[in-house]
Amino acid sequence: MSDTAHLVFAVLALLALALIVRLVRLQALKAKYSVLWLTVGALLAVSAAVPGVLDWIAGKVGVAYQPALFLLLGFGFLLLLAMHFSYELSRLETRVRTLAEELTLLRQELDDKQD
Amino acid sequence: MRTAVVIPAFNESEALPGVLAELAAAVPDHAVVVIDDGSSDDTAGVAAAAGVTCLRLPFNLGIGGALRLGFRFAAEQGFERVYQFDADGQHDPSQIPILLAGLENADMVVGTRFAVGDPGDSGYRVGRGRGLAMGLLRWLVRRATGRRFTDTSSGFRALRRPVLELFATDYPVEYMDSVEALLLAVRHGFTVVEVPVRMRERQGGRPSTRNLRLAYHYVRVLIVLVAGLGRHTRLGATA
Repeated sequence: MSDTAHLVFAVLALLALALIVRLVRLQALKAKYSVLWLTVGALLAVSAAVPGVLDWIAGKVGVAYQPALFLLLGFGFLLLLAMHFSYELSRLETRVRTLAEELTLLRQELDDKQD
Repeated sequence: MRTAVVIPAFNESEALPGVLAELAAAVPDHAVVVIDDGSSDDTAGVAAAAGVTCLRLPFNLGIGGALRLGFRFAAEQGFERVYQFDADGQHDPSQIPILLAGLENADMVVGTRFAVGDPGDSGYRVGRGRGLAMGLLRWLVRRATGRRFTDTSSGFRALRRPVLELFATDYPVEYMDSVEALLLAVRHGFTVVEVPVRMRERQGGRPSTRNLRLAYHYVRVLIVLVAGLGRHTRLGATA
């Protein structure tokens, strides 16, 4: 990659990191997600700032074409994340349903008492 | 024996008054529980005007969710027998004694529209596509439960206490709940029987779902069924 490209990606990674930090400070991200995204942001920043690092890792694990490794890792990470969100959504939906039931029964009890 | 009738209703203010009046005449000693499943029309008002209990959900949960709430309410109120009844006038109150009689030697009774060769043959007919789909469901349910049911999606059902407690917490909440509920009851070792009943055409409201969404739910239930194939043998061994 050219130096200019590196510079662009380093700046983008830094911007992403700044956004994450800001969201965490605003408490718009739950702690468990902030750890996750800070780690991702840091990894991106490091790979952008230190040009040889991805090539070195690719060499270590025996991947000849370095961008393939990057895409593979990124894809795997996003897949896991999507699965995790599906899991969380299912759990939330169960809870919302139960809450709706409780609410309805409580309202019914209240109506009965007022009659 | 204390008996409750659970009626899930979503925008059924048109047909509901007639259904409630018929029930009051046919089964005056049964407690009527309408579950207003987040209707935008006056379903709750209609139920209140008829003087029956109305549980008003804050938003639409779908028929399975509404039923689960009804079962939970009935279980908490100590009812011994509960049956489901459609708000659209599809079910015939004169068939209720037939349904409840089945509970004497079963934990759950399903009213079937397809009692072939029976003198009380309902004459209920469906189109070819739907007939094929229902046939496949029947076959899969038979593979999954080891029993033959002619009408797996019938919503005219009665159940008694042990099943009621199970359904109060575990009733399947997605659309096509009736098929899954059948599996659930059988897998827990309960006796489920079918009795032939007469049903009518719906008197008001619209069919809850059509085409694409129906196809999606059909596939979903197929997956549930296929995933559950052979599971009953394992559970049956422990029951």
